[in-house]
Amino acid sequence: MAAAPTILERPQRWDAAFDADMADADVDRLLATAPFSTMEAEKFPKRTPLRDILRNDTRILKFRKGEIIVRQGDYGTSAFLILKGAARIVLKPDLAPALLGRQAPGKKGIFRTLAQLWNGTRPPETFSRLQLQQAAGLGARQTKTDVRVFLQDLPRVLSEHRTDTMTSGDLFGEIGALSRMPRAATIFADTDDAELLEIRWQGLRDLMKYSDGLRTHVNKIYRERALASYLRATPMFQHLTKEQLDRVAEQVEFATYGDYDWSGEYKRLAQAGTVRPEKEPVIVQEGDYPNGIVLLRAGFARLSQKFGGGERTLNYIGAGHHYGLRELAHNWRHPEAPVNFKFSVRAIGYTHLLIVPTRAMEEIVLPSLPKDELPAPLELAPDESEEAPAAAGVRENVGAEVLEFLTENRFFNGTASMVIDLDRCTRCDDCVRACAATHDNNPRFLRHGPTTGSLMVANACMHCADPVCMIGCPTGAIHRESFAGQVVINPDTCIGCKACFNNCPYDAIRMVEIRDTNGEFMVDQEMKPIAKATKCDLCVESYGGPSCERACPHGALSRLNLNNLDALAKWLKL
Amino acid sequence: MKRFRRQFFIGTVALLVATAAALWAHRRWHHALPDYAYLSGWVLFVALFVLTFFNARKKLSFLPLGKAETWLQIHIYLGFFTVVLFLIHLNFRLPHGGFELTLAWLFTLVSASGVAGLFFSRTLPVRLASRGGEVLFEKIPALRQTLRTAAETLAFDAPTPFIAEFYTQRLAPFFAGPKNGWRHFFESRRPLNALMAELEDLRRFANAAEQEKIEKLAALVRQKDGLDYHRSLQLALKQWLFVHIPLTYGLVVFTLAHLVLVFGFSGGAR
Repeated sequence: MAAAPTILERPQRWDAAFDADMADADVDRLLATAPFSTMEAEKFPKRTPLRDILRNDTRILKFRKGEIIVRQGDYGTSAFLILKGAARIVLKPDLAPALLGRQAPGKKGIFRTLAQLWNGTRPPETFSRLQLQQAAGLGARQTKTDVRVFLQDLPRVLSEHRTDTMTSGDLFGEIGALSRMPRAATIFADTDDAELLEIRWQGLRDLMKYSDGLRTHVNKIYRERALASYLRATPMFQHLTKEQLDRVAEQVEFATYGDYDWSGEYKRLAQAGTVRPEKEPVIVQEGDYPNGIVLLRAGFARLSQKFGGGERTLNYIGAGHHYGLRELAHNWRHPEAPVNFKFSVRAIGYTHLLIVPTRAMEEIVLPSLPKDELPAPLELAPDESEEAPAAAGVRENVGAEVLEFLTENRFFNGTASMVIDLDRCTRCDDCVRACAATHDNNPRFLRHGPTTGSLMVANACMHCADPVCMIGCPTGAIHRESFAGQVVINPDTCIGCKACFNNCPYDAIRMVEIRDTNGEFMVDQEMKPIAKATKCDLCVESYGGPSCERACPHGALSRLNLNNLDALAKWLKL
Repeated sequence: MKRFRRQFFIGTVALLVATAAALWAHRRWHHALPDYAYLSGWVLFVALFVLTFFNARKKLSFLPLGKAETWLQIHIYLGFFTVVLFLIHLNFRLPHGGFELTLAWLFTLVSASGVAGLFFSRTLPVRLASRGGEVLFEKIPALRQTLRTAAETLAFDAPTPFIAEFYTQRLAPFFAGPKNGWRHFFESRRPLNALMAELEDLRRFANAAEQEKIEKLAALVRQKDGLDYHRSLQLALKQWLFVHIPLTYGLVVFTLAHLVLVFGFSGGAR
């Protein structure tokens, strides 16, 4: 007899409110404050009323003067509305990395490099007390829920940097939150009583959906600040005049697909073995009429085609790529024999994209393109199962199995993934030893990971194009290195909160218990060990590149950008 | 792999050219030059020094000393060339005397272990990758213990004693530790096939539930066999270095002693 099913109340969106302490009085106050006071509550659906959005998707935060609200370069999932007091945005020059809790970029000097000869004998993860003191000019305050980092020498910051003030009613951080782009500037509280409303992205998305005013406001900001420069940098639009570009920008639509918190969801699905393309949100459906081209601004999408009862992956496309130009160009040149979308495009994780409608493409963009930049015409008698040459090429170069493997495991996110050729790897662990020697006796990766055929993607930080680990770091310890963009952790300002460790969908971050110079474990007042997050930093401080790659005597290990399959195809054919 | 073929081509051509040049030089000068034995000895010594520095490069991986891959290529082809230099230094004769014989034996063993290592490095990884079930060497004992516990639970949970008896007699020693190392090294499936045949025979006495247990036991046996296979080949990939490197240290010591003896006692001999 089959066991009785476990019956649970179906999980709902607001089971976990952003702030469980949000009271009715707080919501009433917000409803009386602009822009919420101008929103028409009846326009919101019954399942997601305005009041419940404010209660569940927002929280009120108080900041003291000098406390950092958002850091330039960080990734965030929220927008902020100033309710009371003021905040200050740093315009130019940018704040020094040390002031943001980051490590100063640069290589190890000759003496620090040579010191590794004898440092290799001491216990791993050794810190001196001095090293762990907060970086000069940076302080931290523990609040009830999180840690606030503040600028200690505020007058100096103000005198050395051009800043601007934002006051009650100003909204910021909405572009970063919606498009999953890094924060463009650092903003800190300018008064002791600054009160801000933090709106998580789900709430902001719904508020924009049902409030014309907010949507228009955010879209206007988006078009002004981000869209024009993005379109200008896209090769397809480079032949347009300013006036034509403005006309295209006016017609561009924005869309987001998938789950912003995809990493947690992906971990769950991967553990259950149920990562299936059919379950991914469809952006473009194979066989539909091409109503525009999609430009990926952030995130990733899978290009797939119906195959048997399922979908087979042909390629994946990331930020900066587009889909639909081939079909649109064909229809523009051959209106007598139009074709539909040849493939499906599905959001993997979270995808933010721009859609340029067919009309704008046909009237403005396509006529501006030189003939040699137009894609080759499709077959006039289209065989719907035919693969586009480019897509077929990718499958041929890396192999269908490898392509499915990379996509299923979301490895396309990695810009410096550790790829090992098991046919060449002698399992000598020279790479691990080299990593340990370079990182004061503690290797920062595991020479093990998912495999397909003789290809292994080892458990090392991939320095993701979409670094979800950077979301929510309270001190800014995990950040992108300003020169080459590697994701690194500053051990001096890491407080061991595990935010990055929990966020990383690839389990590439490890928490390590640190020791003092005598080799004893460091503990807090409650005698609990002090831990810090560590991971591969791509030997950012060393000369000559990643030591793991340099140390492999058999050429079996490489750090590859899987964001672009050309590098992998080339390596596989080496 | 184009890169590896290119490396092989360049290395082989360089080795052949260098060998031809060395043999020509030997023929041309070994009677003509009065200090020829010193010259060939010093060249051999420098070659040996460069070869041993490969290990130092591994220890100094944090210094920008170039890619280990390049170092290994130099190590391999220079290693082969050093054999030619060694024969030239001996003037293609057998050495005589206990010391020189020891030195020659050490050189031979170091060279032979290096060639064996090269052979292992090029063939065993392919076999491991083809077999699948990639596992870290250090984790093998823990995984073996997990398999053993699972097998014991299955065997002793059986309602009839014949599975437990079979486990005690045949499977307990198999799960107790690494087995059939040499057989795996030579790609023999005989031990596994024999065990699987015995398990198959056991099915004749089993009812449906016991058949299922036997099937699960067979799966565990296959997994354990896979672990043993990985252990055997990975061990070979590690152990040849435990022959090559200590012998190299011995060779270096004897070479230095040889230098001291030559310069100390040659008395200006040519």
